[in-house]
Order: sequence, then C-alpha cells, then structure tokens
Amino acid sequence: MKSTTTSPIITIAGLTKDFGETHALRDVNLTVEKGEVVVLLGLSGSGKSTLLRHVDGLELPTAGDVTVLGQSLPALRPKALRKLRGRVAMIFQQFELVPSLTVLENVLTGALSRVKGPRLGLATWPASLRREALTHLERVGLLHRAYNRADQLSGGQQQRVAIARALMQNPDVLLADEPVASLDPESSDVVMKLIREIAAEDGLTVVCSLHQVDLALGWGDRIVGLRHGEVVLDTPASGLSKAAVMEIYGRVATTTTELTVIERELLADAPRGRDAAPALADGAAS
Amino acid sequence: MTATTTTPGSATSGAALPRRPRISTNKVIAGAVIVAMAGFAIWSLAQIDFSLYNFQRSMLSLAKTIRLMDPISFPSVPDLVYLISLTLGVVIAGTVVAAVISMPIAYLAAANTAPNRTSRVIGRAIGVITRAVPDVILAMAIGLMFTLGATWAGVLAIGFHSIGMISKLFADAIEQIDEGPRLAIRAAGGSKAQEFWSGVFPQVFPSWIATALHRFDINVRGSVILGFAGVGGLGYRMYIDFQQFPQGFGPALGIAIVIFLLCVATELVSSTIRVRLLGAQPTRRTLGDALMRQTRGRRKTTTAATLSTADLTVEKAMRRPWNSSRVSSTVWGWVGILVVIGGFAMSRLDPNQIMWKYVWSTIMSFWPPSTGAYDTQTFVTAIVQTLQMAFAAALLTFLVSLVFGSLAARNIAPNGWVRGAFRVFLVIFRGVPELVLAIVLIIITGLGPQAGVLALAFGGVGLLGKLIADSFEEVDAGPEQAVRATGAGRLQVFGSATLPQGLPSLLGNTLYLLDTNIRSATVLGIVGAGGIGFYLTVSAGLTKTHPVVSAIIGIIIAMVLVVEGIASYLRSVFK
Repeated sequence: MKSTTTSPIITIAGLTKDFGETHALRDVNLTVEKGEVVVLLGLSGSGKSTLLRHVDGLELPTAGDVTVLGQSLPALRPKALRKLRGRVAMIFQQFELVPSLTVLENVLTGALSRVKGPRLGLATWPASLRREALTHLERVGLLHRAYNRADQLSGGQQQRVAIARALMQNPDVLLADEPVASLDPESSDVVMKLIREIAAEDGLTVVCSLHQVDLALGWGDRIVGLRHGEVVLDTPASGLSKAAVMEIYGRVATTTTELTVIERELLADAPRGRDAAPALADGAAS
Repeated sequence: MTATTTTPGSATSGAALPRRPRISTNKVIAGAVIVAMAGFAIWSLAQIDFSLYNFQRSMLSLAKTIRLMDPISFPSVPDLVYLISLTLGVVIAGTVVAAVISMPIAYLAAANTAPNRTSRVIGRAIGVITRAVPDVILAMAIGLMFTLGATWAGVLAIGFHSIGMISKLFADAIEQIDEGPRLAIRAAGGSKAQEFWSGVFPQVFPSWIATALHRFDINVRGSVILGFAGVGGLGYRMYIDFQQFPQGFGPALGIAIVIFLLCVATELVSSTIRVRLLGAQPTRRTLGDALMRQTRGRRKTTTAATLSTADLTVEKAMRRPWNSSRVSSTVWGWVGILVVIGGFAMSRLDPNQIMWKYVWSTIMSFWPPSTGAYDTQTFVTAIVQTLQMAFAAALLTFLVSLVFGSLAARNIAPNGWVRGAFRVFLVIFRGVPELVLAIVLIIITGLGPQAGVLALAFGGVGLLGKLIADSFEEVDAGPEQAVRATGAGRLQVFGSATLPQGLPSLLGNTLYLLDTNIRSATVLGIVGAGGIGFYLTVSAGLTKTHPVVSAIIGIIIAMVLVVEGIASYLRSVFK
C-alpha cells in the first residue's frame, strides 16, 4: 500500500446532515487517501448510507464540506457535479439494475457520463464502448450473460453486473453501500473478493459500508465505525481483534430489542466514542 | 448529547402507544356528502319518466320502425374494407399522436420526474382539459378548418382527447417505478434526460404501450360518434343511413353490427399484445382480456439468451445471437412500425385538405367564452339534465352491478356455473359500444333522456359489475371463514364479512363510474339524449357560436373537477 503525501481523495470536514427532526450525520470528519480501502461499519440507521451519498453528491450537507478529487461538492454546478459523479462509481445493496434491459445495456449505462445525450437500445452505443463493456463483463465472469435481461440473473450475478457497470465509469473512487446485505453467504464471498481484487488491480480508492464485523475485519485496510451519525471508531484494520471492535461497536443486533439493549449499554459505558477510538487502536497495535 | 440519551426511549414508547378512537368530523361530512349524492341520484331517477305509458309508447314506436325499415343489410365487401380501413386508420393515427404527445406531458405531471411544482400543475391541467373536451365536439368545431370529407378533424380530435387518459395513466406508471435504477444512473453521472431514457423509460415502456392499446380500444368504440361530426368511416355511413327515416335503419343496424364485431376484434388483438408481449396481467376488464385469460396457460417461456461458455471471447460476444427473444422483439418492433405507418396511410390525411386561411380564425373563434344567445336559465336546466342522466344511470348501474357483480364473484356465487354465467353477461355488456346502444335505444324510446340513461346504465354495468366482482374476490378470506364457522348462512357471510371489506373499493369504483358518466352523458346529448350536449352540438357547427362551445366546455371541466374533488376527498376519508 503506497502512502502518498499528495492531497487526499476524499475529505469530509464537519459534515452534518439533518432530515427534518432526524440528525442523520453530526460533525463527521474523515479523510481517505488514494488507494485506501475503507470500511464504514455501523448498524442500520447509523448514517453509513447517508455518508456515502454525500460523497457522490446525491445529498447536500446541512453543514460542513465534502471534497472529492479536489472539488468541493456543495459548491459544484450541476454539470460539474455530473462530471465528478462519473469519476465516482457506486454500487448498491439492491443492485439497482434496470430490470427490463439486457445485462450489456446495464453495464453501458455506466458510460452515460462519457457520451452526449440519451441512449436507448444497444445500437445507439458505439461499438468501442460495447466492446469495453463486454471486457468488464468478462472480468466479473458474466460475459456469457451479456444478452440476458438483467432480471433473469441471480442476486449475486446482478451485483457483479453492477460492479461491471461501476468499472464502465473508469472510476477513481468506488463507493459500495452494503453490497452484500441482500446476498447469500456464498455470493457475498464472491462479490467481496471481486471488489477487493479490482480495487487492488486498478488502484481504486474504496469506501464500503457494511454491518457485519466479521466481513469488515478480514477485508478493509481501515475501519471507520459510525453510530447515530457520529464517527466513533477510526482505525487501521490490521491487528485489530473482533473483540476490540465489538467493545466499541457493540454486538451485531438482529432484533429491535437487542439493538436497544446494545445502545443502552454503549451509551452508559462508552465514553465519547471518537476520543476513545484512537486509544483503543493504539492499544491494539501495541 | 442530551438528545442522544432520550432517543431510544422515546422511539419505543412512541410506537407502543395505541391511538384513541375518535369520531372524526371528516367522516360525518363525508357521510353527509354520500347521502346527498344518493338523494340526488334517486330524485334524478324519479324525474326521468320510466312510466308504463312511456314504455308502451316506446314499444309501439319500435314496432312501427321495425315494420317500416329496410331489412338489416351490409355494405358490399370492397365498400366495407374501405370503411373499416378508414375508421381504423383515423383511430390508429389519432391514438399514436396522443401517445407521443402524452410522453412529455406525463413527464411534467409525474411527481418524481416533474422539474417543479408548476410543471406538475400544468401537466395535470392539460390532462384534465383534454379529457373534458369530447372528441366529437372538437371534431365538429375544427372541421371548419378542413375541406369537406377530410379525416384531419377525426385524427386531431382523437389525438387531443386521448392525451388526457394516456398521460394520466402514463404519469401514474412513472410514479410507480423502482427509483433505484434511476438513482444508480444519476450516481454514475447521468443527466436528467439520460436518467429518463435509461432508468425510467425502460421500466414504463410496457405500460405506455399497454395504455395506448387500451385507449385504441376505447377510440374504436368512440369512432362511431365521430361520424356524427362528419369524420369519414363506419360511423359516418351509419349517420347517413340514420338520416333516412325509417327505411335507412336497416342498413344502419348492419353497420352497428360491423362496428360491434370490429370492437371485439380490436380488443382481442390488443389484449393478446398486452398479455403475451408486455406481460400485463389479463384483467377481464375487457372482452379480449377475458378470452386471453382462458388461453394463458399455453404461453411458452422464452428460452434464455445465455451465450455458450465454450471459448467465448469478447469479440465473439460482440455479435448478439438471434435467439427467440431477439427475433420476437425485432419482429414485433417492425410490426408496430408498420401498423403505425399503415394507420397513417389508411387515415388518408392529405395536407391539401387543410384550409390554411381558416385555421387561425377558427382557433381564435373560441375566445372569449360566452353564453351567446342563451340565457342562464337554459344553461342551468341543461346542466341539471346532464347531471340527472349521469346520476340516475349511476344509481341504476350500481343496483344492477351489486347483484350481477356479487354473483360473478367466486366467493359469493353459489356455484361455478352461476359465476361463469354472470361473468359472461358482464363481458357482453362491456362488448357493446355505448353509443351504438344509445342510438338503438333512441330508435326505441324516441329522443330524450330515457334512452341516454338506459344506454349509460347498460354500459356501466359491464364495467362496474366487473370491478365489484373483482374487488369482492380480492377481500381477505379469513373473516369470511370465521363468520361461516359460526354457522352463518350465505347471505350472512356476505353481509358480515365480504361486503364490509369490499366497501371502500365499492365506493371508489362507483365514484369513478359517476365521473365517466358525466362525460358520457354530455356526448349522449349529441346523439339526441338532451342536456348540455345538445347545445354543444348546435353551437359547434358555426364559427359564430364557438364562444358558447368554450363556455360549455368550461362548465363540463368544472363539473368533472368538482366530482373528482369530491371523489378524492371521500376516498381519503374512507381509506
């Protein structure tokens, strides 16, 4: 992993987001360097998705600033914002492919920011882009499915198509919002490995949200924990034990009752989360 | 920080608190509105003379007409082919025009694609206005811009009037899409136009085609009356025949039979396309759909478009294989294009038929609206008469449909035979175009609202009966079983479990029927049923009286808006 001295790829400073009465994010500060693979860890409702959507300019901050690839998103004009989004790819929990289009057409939509005007039907895409899309499909192992309708594929396959669509953007940054939360364990493995491989080969900067501690530990370079819209943990993943994360983050709750119990424990026991995190990270490293 | 500590507790207690039941003033008002509407309907029905004397008189006039008219006859085959192709051409061309114009209007009107609030209002307003202007009136009024016998008026009138329904249903479809793919395209840097064409349009394309086809069916039925406005085709031939009283009634009835068969045929075709190609659920709402449901089991599954994995390369994959799905979409694509081209060709539109020097003056002649030579009293009487027809017909339809619809519902009918028989009744009722029915009834009962009410009521039973049957079949079977388990009889189960559950949709569907009845009642006035439609017909033919047409159309729009407003209020209260 190369560490650069140049400016970071993503800089989030004092980001606060309110949806009416709900405070989705509070004073989040985060910088991501080029080539880093960062896991955003948190329970559902902790603000992971909202944070990711800010990085792609899909949400605008209530307060604070988000700078991506040297450009401050809140200040961008729509056209410049679209251009920037073209360099930041995103994959979603529900894949979000257009069900009635072919797999190939779905991959091609990743190139929309590179072409002028709308596209409808394969014939409206230049052969060079079609060839490029097929190459990406080959990379995710779905070349033979190019002309199937997207909704004929299994969940794991659809997510791989979504990864190919992301690659079609030739992105600098890859954002993944719970990419395996809707998949079975086997497909999850395939998808997570694929993202990691591609990130390494293409030197992508990755920010991926997850809610499973197990998955996060073996996968990312760095783990950022979110709770109630606040960063409560920010530490390199290496040498970090599951127990250590659990202590900060709490067990993975599956029911509302469990969640409430954990929240209560955490609120009662844990000191200010963000202050505690480096201390623990230091402890784990030593 | 203090907010954080209170959040979990308040969240759980908020969810756990049950809401105290309260008698809402809204329900009281809504109840009063329903009672008032029902009262008006009963009064309307009482006002319309269905006395025995009238009935006898009608029967006598029917007997006399039958005795005097020529035998039912059909045009010669070449003549028939010409008439059918002209009618279909006008309808296809008009529907295509409307479908294309509806797309940007639906884009403006749908909540999720509308650029802003104003555009939504404009989009919806265009929908309401185009729906409120009957195509036949428009055809009469703009007919002055074209040479005699031109089909322009028909195509433009259908094109204008159909925008209302197509854009509304299309906007609804846009609002129901999965927003995810669209978000993904935005996240990838797509522009607004790219979002629509790549993320929205592929999702709504089937419903756009299905809506256009549905409208096509309706327009084929409606083409009868366009003949009364001088638009060539089957309707016009029927109109000419009817002018020769009473001998011409035989050939006119022959044309009516041809129109009925044409309606059935086009419905079958459009249902086949909707169900087979677009994957729409057959609804049984139309005759075609009903038949399609019978044959659906034989639908073959499309073979997967998967390429063979053996030494597959990117270059090989560049060539899309001609599998069955590609073949069928290509073939159907070309068929669609040919039908559209053929439709325009058959409609025989000729730019030379446009009398350019009259175009602008005709358009401007509608402004400003005015009541012309009529006094307010005349107008009020006419409006009340139209409303009476709509309400009286809705009441008749409601009563008959409740019985027919219930007996056509699987969970109410005593056995499959009864259900089947009533389903068939409803399908036949729907199959007869209302206007043909109205014209036939006018022969029987003479001019006047009786014929209009009966025609509307008959046509309505087909629709409302079917909607009632469907909504009863959709109720939760649990309560029915529970009531049956207590030892209740068939009627008791119906009254205690089925009816209460089906009541909201019963109300909604009846209001929808009332809404369409007001529009139809206006059109029926044109063929002689009286009411505001009569004054429309009288005023549409002369440029001088065009201000009266715009005044009446304004009144119709207002009536429809009031009924729509009441309907949406009642629906929100009884949700």
